[in-house]
Amino acid sequence: MKRFKFFLRKSAIEKELDSEIRFHVDSVIQQKIAAGLSPEQARWQARLEFGGGEQVKEECRDAHRLALIETTLANLRSAFRFMRRSPGFSAIIIVTLALGIGANSAVFSAINAVLLRPLPYPEPGELVVLHQYNRTKNNPPNPIAPVRLEEWNKDNSTFQAIAGSYTQSVSEASGSSPERLVLADVTPRFFQVLGISPELGRDFTPAEEHFGGPHAVLISDRLWHRLFHADPHVLGKTLRFDSFSVPIVGVLPPSFHFPDKDVDIWSPVPMDAPIVQDRSFTWFTGIGRIKPGVTVARARADLDTVQARLARQFPKTDKNLMAEIQPLKETVVSGSRRSLWILFGAVTLLLLIACTNIAALLLSRTTRRAHEISIRYALGASRGSIIAQLLTEAFVLAIAGSVLGLGIAAAAIRVFHSMAKALPRVDQITLDWQLVLYTLGCALVATLLCALVPALIASRRSISSTLSSISRTQVSARAPLQWTLVGVQVALAVILLVGAGLLLRSFQELGRVSPGFDPNHVLTLRISGNYAETNNQKKMLQSRKRMLDGIAAVPGVESAAISASVPGATSGYPVDVKVTGAAVSPDRKITANEELVYGPYFKTLRIPILAGSTCKEDKLWATAVVNRSFVETYFPNQTVIGRHLTITAVDPKPEIVGVVGDAREDGLNQAPVPTFYWCSPNSNPSPYFLIRTHGKPLALANTLRRKIHQVAPSRSVFDVMPLKQHLYESDSEARFRTLLLSLFALTAISLAALGIYGTLSYLVALRQREIGLRMALGALPGQIRNRFLVQGLSVSLVGCIAGLALAASLSRLLASMLYDVSRLDPLTYAAVAIGVLAVAALASAVPAGRAAHLDPMQVLRQE
Amino acid sequence: MPVEKSELLQGTLDMLILKIVALGPVHGYGISLRIHQISKEVLQVQQGSLYPALHRLERRGWLDATWGESENGRQAKFYKLSAKGRKQLAKEEANWQRLAGAVALIMQMAE
Repeated sequence: MKRFKFFLRKSAIEKELDSEIRFHVDSVIQQKIAAGLSPEQARWQARLEFGGGEQVKEECRDAHRLALIETTLANLRSAFRFMRRSPGFSAIIIVTLALGIGANSAVFSAINAVLLRPLPYPEPGELVVLHQYNRTKNNPPNPIAPVRLEEWNKDNSTFQAIAGSYTQSVSEASGSSPERLVLADVTPRFFQVLGISPELGRDFTPAEEHFGGPHAVLISDRLWHRLFHADPHVLGKTLRFDSFSVPIVGVLPPSFHFPDKDVDIWSPVPMDAPIVQDRSFTWFTGIGRIKPGVTVARARADLDTVQARLARQFPKTDKNLMAEIQPLKETVVSGSRRSLWILFGAVTLLLLIACTNIAALLLSRTTRRAHEISIRYALGASRGSIIAQLLTEAFVLAIAGSVLGLGIAAAAIRVFHSMAKALPRVDQITLDWQLVLYTLGCALVATLLCALVPALIASRRSISSTLSSISRTQVSARAPLQWTLVGVQVALAVILLVGAGLLLRSFQELGRVSPGFDPNHVLTLRISGNYAETNNQKKMLQSRKRMLDGIAAVPGVESAAISASVPGATSGYPVDVKVTGAAVSPDRKITANEELVYGPYFKTLRIPILAGSTCKEDKLWATAVVNRSFVETYFPNQTVIGRHLTITAVDPKPEIVGVVGDAREDGLNQAPVPTFYWCSPNSNPSPYFLIRTHGKPLALANTLRRKIHQVAPSRSVFDVMPLKQHLYESDSEARFRTLLLSLFALTAISLAALGIYGTLSYLVALRQREIGLRMALGALPGQIRNRFLVQGLSVSLVGCIAGLALAASLSRLLASMLYDVSRLDPLTYAAVAIGVLAVAALASAVPAGRAAHLDPMQVLRQE
Repeated sequence: MPVEKSELLQGTLDMLILKIVALGPVHGYGISLRIHQISKEVLQVQQGSLYPALHRLERRGWLDATWGESENGRQAKFYKLSAKGRKQLAKEEANWQRLAGAVALIMQMAE
């Protein structure tokens, strides 16, 4: 801080101070010699009188420092005077900056909350998510068998502890009608691994974690507020499930959302229960805390060793299994990282455009203020003080802009909360002091970007002294710097427009896609069930059949089926299968997505049956249907009907009874892949019921609820939603991203248009006299207009070409988000070029027209 | 040194400097010399007060400074009065006359 304030001229001041003091001391010495002292004595006395000189210098420096505070205040006063004097000009700058800074801060708030801020656990970097997978198969990673999880936890050397959880929905029956709650079943150590303790009550006791021990649940802060109105005496109260009651032993803190933000209750799984001992069960998603300083790679190698030992011990079940480990944060945010950084890139471009725009405005302004500046020079101001004054003016405007921008960001955060629900951790996006600091930082950077070059140029002595006379009498203002800035704005806006255009085209292509099934008039809903039920296949099947029949009997329902996943909105599971008796070489892998369906699925979704028949419901697990891609990819010239599928070594081998059309089961933007539909009641305790209705799907919702309550009184109905809505929400993130980018691109081109308009208007004003002369000498208004039009358009053309070239190389970043549109899509690029040039022509036409309508006599008389 | 030296009253140094500088451009050493001579060697300006005062006055815009050649041919920093400084001096002089007069009256009365 000490010397900071005169960084501009520090060395000059120091040097002057040195020689001034030295001159004084030397003069004193000479005087003393003249008075008769010897040179040594004289020097010695002079030093005595003067001290070291250092203290004097320091006090001189203080004089400068105090003065700096005074000048800063004076600069601020002059900045406010400047704002009062030209309110329109200031307002344009403030609003432009507010747009640029506001958009930037809004996206930064999302990046900060989603990507940068650590997860809300102690030492979150140590947390990893674990799965098991079969290294010989293509299958996705599976949950881990309970016994295996315990062995991993016991035998490893790199983890502090490993725990696990799985979720299911349950019906809580203490209210008037059963309510669906989300239950997380957790292993012992679960909360210790995460490092979280209940805000009220306690963690589970060892007794509660043993088979046959007392029941206990922890509840979420949300449920505590909703069911118990945050009653501090909630401990010991009970929740009712099916036939038993469970006491509440604790409430977890509001920030705790693991394994899922929907979880309402946590309950321990006794790891010594007989049912848990089967090595082929896959239950738990593992969560582990590695020891400090251990890398994920080392932890992975460690578990591989542990698992290799288990493979020798239990070859039948564990032979090819491996552990999969991923940092927890990766699993949470990796999906949105790219989107967010692209948006951040877009708003940074936007801020750059805003700054360039303002720089051009300030440049034209400083030329007009040259008179004032030359007077200040005449009064003895230094260049530094003039630059400081100009920067202070810009900084005051930037602060005003960033305050307004913060308001825009706050509004945008509210939009994020309501529109970007798919974004992980979206609820943590808030207006906090970090955002305020960031915004102020933006203001500072914007000030330097906008105002430094104009200030340096304005304060050049030669220019300020000469220009004051030029602007009125001569006509040499070509303003190359202003035009460069305009060109840069156009180029940056073109980049954003191309990006937004490609995403929009992608959406357009997606809208044309035929999904292969008919999502209209289909209602989806889920009915609560738990994993315990799925153990008794026969009973589960009976209950599902009863519910399905009940639903089908409701007037207005055409047909109903059950599926493990929502068609068109959930990514599928590719698994390796074999086909018995098929003429394929044994090493050729057949990989196909597995869909588990029950009831008249193809009829309900209107997927055409191309050959054979549909599922045969009388024999469970016994039949399967494949899609056209399956046949065309693996058995182009053979018949598959009648053959059997081998899916795993132990499962039954279903017979292929039919071939159906390709449906985009994995998402509308995913081309159909080879798929087999296994006709079976899947083991998801709460599968999706798909119901084709005659009228509007939601109109039947309440009737269906009542019917299901009649058939299965202890169950709750949830997630009632038309299939169309599922499809709509499945690409909500992409839609949101496209919407934002389009918004930014439109703002960008508006700013660029403003830049063209402003610069051309300024030039017309500056060259009034020349125009008047030309017209007096016989130039036609049309010629004058064209001269300015051509100038505006040619700069825009250059900017446009540069922008297209940059966009072509930057579009690489977008490539993975595009559906069926090349990142170099000529249509998009051409449309952007034409659009930008049209806007440029429009923005140039107004000032050019003004030039053409100048009255020569009036202009010349002004001189 | 036969004559007793007097320290300057706080605040009067600025006025004295302005007064001396009003006579014509002069460097710091010259100022201390003239105050000493004109006051008949009664007033001795400490260099430790003189230079900070000069710089303070310069920053306030009362003094203008330029580098020029001194009597002995060396580069020295010369101070001269600015228009603002001239006004300030006039104000301070008027103020001083009043104050000095008032002090004299009191001293006479006490006798």
